Amino acid sequence: MSSDLARFAIRRLLSMLAVLFAVSVVVFLIFNVVPNGDPAVRMAGKIPTETQIEAIREEWGFDEPLYVQYATMMKNLFTGETVSYFTQQDVVEEIWKGLPRTLSLAVGAALIWMAFAIALGLYSALRAGRFSDRVVTVLALIGISMPVFWLGALMSYYLGYKAGIFPASGYVEFSDDPFQWFWHLVMPWTALSILFIGFYSRVLRSDILETMGEDYVRTARAKGLSERRVLLKHVLRNSLIPIITLWGLDFGAVIGGAAILTETVFNLQGVGQYAADAIGQLDLPPIMAVTMFGAFFIVIFNTLVDIAYAALDPRIRLEGETSR
Amino acid sequence: MRNLCVLVAVLALAAVSAIGLAACGSDSDSGSSAGGGGDDSSVTIAQASQPDFLDPALSYTIHGWEPMWLVYTPLLTYKREDGKAGSELMPGLAEAMPEVSEDGKTYKLTLRKGLEFSDGTPVKASDFEHTIKRVLNLESGGAPYYEVIKGADAYLSGGNADADISGIKTNDKTGEITIELSAPEGAFSYILAMNFAGVVPGDTPFENMTKDPAPGVGAYMFTKSEPNREFVLERNPKFSDGTVPGVPVANIPTVRTVITPSVPQQTQEVIGNELDFMQEPVATDFLSEILDRFGPDGSEEQRYKEYTTLSTYYFFLNGDVAPFDDPKVREAVNIGVDKPALARLFAGTLEPGCSFLPPEMPGYVEALDSADCPWGDPSEAPDLERAKQLIKEAGAEGAKVTVWGDNVDPTPKVTQAYADQLNQIGLDAEPKILDGGVYFQTIGNQSTGAQTGFLNWFGDFPHPSNFFFLVDGATIQPTNNQNMSNVDDPHINKELAELAKEPDVTAVADRWEALNEYLVDKAYLVPYGYRKLSTFLSDRMNFADCTPISPQYYNDYSQWCLKDE
Amino acid sequence: MVSPSREEAESAGTEFTLDSSEELSGDPAERPGMGPWRLTGRRLRRDKVALVSGVVFLLIIAACMAAPLWADKVAETTPEENHLSDQVLIDGKPTDVVDTLGKPIGPTWSGHFFLGADSNGRDIMVRLLYGGRNSLLIGLAAAIGTIAVGLVLGLLAGYYRGRADSVIRWLLDVIWAFPAVLLGVALGTALALGGLSIGPVTIQGDSLAIPTLIIAIIYIPYLARPVRGQALALREREFVEAARAQGMGSLRIIFSEVLPNVASTLVVFLPLLVANAVLLEAALSFLGAGVQPPSPSWGTMIAEGVDRIVTAPHLTIVPGVMLVLSVLSLNIFGEGVRDALDPRARVRIEH
Repeated sequence: MSSDLARFAIRRLLSMLAVLFAVSVVVFLIFNVVPNGDPAVRMAGKIPTETQIEAIREEWGFDEPLYVQYATMMKNLFTGETVSYFTQQDVVEEIWKGLPRTLSLAVGAALIWMAFAIALGLYSALRAGRFSDRVVTVLALIGISMPVFWLGALMSYYLGYKAGIFPASGYVEFSDDPFQWFWHLVMPWTALSILFIGFYSRVLRSDILETMGEDYVRTARAKGLSERRVLLKHVLRNSLIPIITLWGLDFGAVIGGAAILTETVFNLQGVGQYAADAIGQLDLPPIMAVTMFGAFFIVIFNTLVDIAYAALDPRIRLEGETSR
Repeated sequence: MRNLCVLVAVLALAAVSAIGLAACGSDSDSGSSAGGGGDDSSVTIAQASQPDFLDPALSYTIHGWEPMWLVYTPLLTYKREDGKAGSELMPGLAEAMPEVSEDGKTYKLTLRKGLEFSDGTPVKASDFEHTIKRVLNLESGGAPYYEVIKGADAYLSGGNADADISGIKTNDKTGEITIELSAPEGAFSYILAMNFAGVVPGDTPFENMTKDPAPGVGAYMFTKSEPNREFVLERNPKFSDGTVPGVPVANIPTVRTVITPSVPQQTQEVIGNELDFMQEPVATDFLSEILDRFGPDGSEEQRYKEYTTLSTYYFFLNGDVAPFDDPKVREAVNIGVDKPALARLFAGTLEPGCSFLPPEMPGYVEALDSADCPWGDPSEAPDLERAKQLIKEAGAEGAKVTVWGDNVDPTPKVTQAYADQLNQIGLDAEPKILDGGVYFQTIGNQSTGAQTGFLNWFGDFPHPSNFFFLVDGATIQPTNNQNMSNVDDPHINKELAELAKEPDVTAVADRWEALNEYLVDKAYLVPYGYRKLSTFLSDRMNFADCTPISPQYYNDYSQWCLKDE
Repeated sequence: MVSPSREEAESAGTEFTLDSSEELSGDPAERPGMGPWRLTGRRLRRDKVALVSGVVFLLIIAACMAAPLWADKVAETTPEENHLSDQVLIDGKPTDVVDTLGKPIGPTWSGHFFLGADSNGRDIMVRLLYGGRNSLLIGLAAAIGTIAVGLVLGLLAGYYRGRADSVIRWLLDVIWAFPAVLLGVALGTALALGGLSIGPVTIQGDSLAIPTLIIAIIYIPYLARPVRGQALALREREFVEAARAQGMGSLRIIFSEVLPNVASTLVVFLPLLVANAVLLEAALSFLGAGVQPPSPSWGTMIAEGVDRIVTAPHLTIVPGVMLVLSVLSLNIFGEGVRDALDPRARVRIEH
């Protein structure tokens, strides 16, 4: 790696840390500054007394100034000693248990949407302007307009409970039964992918159409290359670059957030659902941990993409920025 | 090609590591999806959330009590019989019912000889004192019940976990246990029978034992506890038929409880016989199908039944704030609430009622659940005109009211319906739904000024004082208040103080009945019904012969049996 | 979920400007010299599908705005009124609106309970229309909020560069890094409890302003980044240099020279933002962090409907269909606008 690139990479990584720090502060403030009740009272159980509450406050450090509480919380996060206010269970352990589920969902969906999007995008680009192209466009637009949780709920009921084709909800560990693991995920994967298939296929389509009009493609054709080779060697390759980029960014975002809805509807008990439950209970440690985890994924994918682009385009490294 | 390759490589690397994590993580233990009947001798049941604690000193929910009453037996316990007989006390680890002194302040018991915990440790009388110490020391929600013991306060403020409680004297050689109270407490025998006093070994640490539950004396013992995933009960080899007379040995060797948050999912699984039992009430969406197929009049073999519980569902009316500081307004609300309508939201599992004490509770007045109720027959539509009239007379038309409720189904629906009913009689009500985790704390804080909202109470034991503390002026607190209506009625306070001393509740049942009627007459709150819970089993279970229902703990897993095929 | 204009870096030189819209699409009615907006309008008018979609969306808005009319005159109830104990005539037989097991009636196709009732015995049609008002209002207001803030931030960052740019970009990165739904749920839940008081301004916990604010904030980077990219490029153009040479102040340049060129981006973005905002509001309400009961919104109606999906599927299907229709019509119309602005489909600010 050239030193320009190295410097760029380091700058991006530093910026990444600054962003993550800001995220943690914001989450902390939201749950401490916004009026939401006293966690000490909640932890004290059904019929607590003042002494009990005071004791809890002291033990957990709720009586410390805010910045001390923040520092303690972040320290606990990194040493893996974060404990939920509510259930008093280890948060990192809970996240670790939920992680395979969330990742199974996200990675599976990401691969599926990519495959279908490329296929559909290519198909509609090659038949641009014709009826089949319009059909695909309409389908894609419908996909984009579909709320994930609604689609999921309907699939769960009609295909799951009523028709009995797929299991309506739940998750099976891969190590327990690989086929059931797969079978339980088919509907969640579909619900999550439809949105992205719609979007990505159209982006790919327009990218391909644009690339086909470029000079170097015309040159390749003039040179006598077969249409197929032109397509594969030049057009597709270049059209895929922006798609792959988007994929990277969206994958990070899915792990960070969109998975919550699908997990909730299908009861996959992944990290997203864990977070949603914790938020409902205003349980700060899990919320902080999951948000940092999600933010980390988003930011790291962003940064990787930035660095990759800098590796490809020297201008970016030099200017130290992009027109992003 | 280079461009594309670089990009793909970078992202593929990241994705692959993600997949790696996904695969690795699968090494963790089997998930929450029910494993079905498993092997022939085990039964799988589901709960929707991890019990608050798997530690008898701490747990204060039915999720915890239902498994644990079979694992830990207190000095006194409930008869293991179906129906009303099951609400009577009998000796547990004690040889006999306690000898109570004339003034009601001293209780003498003797520990049975030769008892062993599930790990083989012999049970000593001093283990009882340690059990109570844990309840106090760990700041359990049940601690207030035991603070009536002499020396409990000193123990708490002393700060030394291993100090003695002066009011409990035990003799390990003779097995004698003497408990002195600082004031007579008529319900103390029931307090001794509570799950909190389930005896644990004297060396059990002063910490939450959920992850590794302590041994006890009971039909079952914990062999596995994975919070938020599952816990397993197995037959206790140290427990046999005569160990505690009246407490049977378990029929089914293994009971595995999995945590499945989705109630519809649990319901589907029991219907499909993939799950043997669900602890929650069945999802109302499936109720008509279940009744049609598995109910008492169902087309298929019966697998489902409902039973009344010692519970009252009510709305509190905060007498300290407008408009409920005006008795006329409170009366209007009691008249105007449409109880049968609310019952529909419970899909028929709520019996409309007018009494504060539920049926089967000493002090219940049957006449109140008829046209004799001062506010109108609870199973009929309300007299809206009369209610509206009262509101007008009180000058409370258009008064703004916030109606509080939590988000556990069906509470949000009930809260919204109730708010609408208040609007129908002339108030200006708006519901406010909070998460279950913050609800009680919020409405229990006087500074919130909560005017009215959703509440219920399931009796901790079948003694009316356990309900009446909710309306005792002495229990009003600035935070974590349970007397949400802020009832401070001198007559009630006086009666409660006197009746608390009576050890025999049947002897004073008529006074409790009078107090119950008095409370209803004063319209301090709005009781509207009693909840029925249900038992729904898979077809592997012998429903007809082996499903006794305890009024206190509901299902007795130890008395379940499988069908002989 | 708008593409974060990674394309801008890669394809510098094809960002939309008023110039490129002058590229004729080959339609004989278009003549050189026709103003860009006029060209756009022309093309849009010829795109029947987009026009129909636009009309559909407007009809949906009109219907929702007419909610009080329907509620008063036809259904004769309100969106919050519970009819738990009532009965209606179905085929001449009095039927419980909500039966003793809690099952509500399905569509009656008559004035009362046209689309049936929900678990609390409320009229679904009435709630659908009022809910649409809430959902669409929030979507629109949030989109406008996003544009207002995102536009300013993007312009300032792109034009001034340097310090201001770094700070603004960092701010955008922070918002961007937050898992969107998590942030929305966290804020929505936290604020629903106690509301928000900043100085003299107090917003109640159940006010519609809260989900609107949250959604607006989440989408700011989606708009600010492309705008910034354009501003960055535009500041090097001749007409901007000319203005600078003339001695125009920076702010004035931004607002009189750069902004009009960015306007077309905004025109493309607006329907997309509204569509996404409406979907996000539904998602937040579904999770309980958006519109608070008893106010209806399509998202809360779906959440309530899922509990009853076996015995009363219409509770889930109806609001979902409305949601899809609204968002779809917006998306198709947005497509049409984009195509009309640049028929070569080179603009990839999308989604």
